Amino acid sequence: MSLEILSCRNLKKQFVENQVLQGIDLQINKGESLAIIGASGSGKSTLLRCLNFLEIPSSGEVRLRGKLIGSRQNGQVVYQERDLIPIRAKIGMVFQHFNLFPHMTVLQNVMEGPRTVLKLPKSEYESRAISYLEKVSIPEKRNAYPSELSGGQQQRVAIARALAMEPEIMLFDEATSALDPELVGEVLDVILKLMEEGLTCVLVTHELGFAYSAAQRVLFMHNGVVLEEGSAYDVLVEPQQPRTIEFLRGHSRFQLPASKNSQ
Amino acid sequence: MEHVWDFQTVFASWSLLSQGLFNTLKLGLLTLITGMFFGFFVGLGRYSRSSWVNFPAGVFVEVFRNTPALVQIMWFYFAFPIISPFDIDAFAAAALGLGLNTTAFCAEIFRGGIQSIHRGQWEAGKALGMTYREQVWRIILPQAVVRMIPAFMNRVVELMKMTSLASVIAFGELMHQAKTISTYHFNPIESYTVVALLFFLVISPFAFLVYHLENRFRK
Repeated sequence: MSLEILSCRNLKKQFVENQVLQGIDLQINKGESLAIIGASGSGKSTLLRCLNFLEIPSSGEVRLRGKLIGSRQNGQVVYQERDLIPIRAKIGMVFQHFNLFPHMTVLQNVMEGPRTVLKLPKSEYESRAISYLEKVSIPEKRNAYPSELSGGQQQRVAIARALAMEPEIMLFDEATSALDPELVGEVLDVILKLMEEGLTCVLVTHELGFAYSAAQRVLFMHNGVVLEEGSAYDVLVEPQQPRTIEFLRGHSRFQLPASKNSQ
Repeated sequence: MEHVWDFQTVFASWSLLSQGLFNTLKLGLLTLITGMFFGFFVGLGRYSRSSWVNFPAGVFVEVFRNTPALVQIMWFYFAFPIISPFDIDAFAAAALGLGLNTTAFCAEIFRGGIQSIHRGQWEAGKALGMTYREQVWRIILPQAVVRMIPAFMNRVVELMKMTSLASVIAFGELMHQAKTISTYHFNPIESYTVVALLFFLVISPFAFLVYHLENRFRK
């Protein structure tokens, strides 16, 4: 039986007038790789940010390893910041714009979580940081500052920074969208390696080719709901929903393999 | 009538001048340090989610930023002893007026500096599992303080000049000493020229530092 890591039920998020998430049900199992696709404004980034509580959901529940996050009051789940802090520490997040700490070196960036949050001893957080920099193939840049790195290198450092917390699950929020096309590959290679090692990964992405080849499951979001969900092949090659078909057709960069049925 | 230059009596009053210089520096540095210290907390207070904290902090800043420092000094000197049981001397009144004024301006510098840091930096700290305090001390302030330095240096320049306002309540700083010397020796041109030079010597290194730092951070 597969072990559930993170799940949400009837998750809703409203910004003033704008209902961005209209009741999302989702379950992510251990070792699974899930890609969330959809047009901009479909709510996919908001969903990801609600899963680690960078945004507080308006209603619904989120569970980490089956345990409800927050506490129930009058049928509503309420969240205290002090309850969310340890949750975030277990969920790794990689941002579109890297958000590295510019006043710290690469090594300090990666050490920061284990040092400040996990409060590991120096010998431990240092060796841990170095090993994760090796994992993202960038150990030689440890004493450089983020501004001295290319976008692809910065994003790999950001991945190492999240990995150094040894999270239960990694969330990638359009991790390659801000990169020059020739730098996308090096970042996707790292993400692919993590997926192959069995790390649980959720990625919001516009790289449909990557989603197809790397993700076990794909979710298509439209107007705050999950419109279609299934294996990468089912959603990307043989979508059922007209909106999904239209969306995929709009992605000229994505070369569809021939469908089994049409052969 | 030909003006007879009389710098001699000004220099002869060097003890008055040196005392004035000492008082100017004392008032300036004291209000700078207290202003920066309390300004930090007021600036953070304006960020507080509780309106019991951010509202009074906002009112304080707006009151002291939008009234003249001269009025504040006069008010503390003349009105404060009447509405409170405390007697207050010229130095205390000037220090209160300028100190609170500087607090308000420093609060804005802190607030502006913190606001200039991109939201993504807070989020990156938060996503690692940092507490609010850890985000502020480890991520935000180290970056914000660097950006605040030119603004603080400007404040130092402004503040050192504003200390001359304390002469209106007869606090013996440089400006007041010049007034004393010139009434005694009928040489206002010479007295105020020397005082202007002294101010320039005290302040210009800061102004130069501002210029230098702004150039450095622009890179």
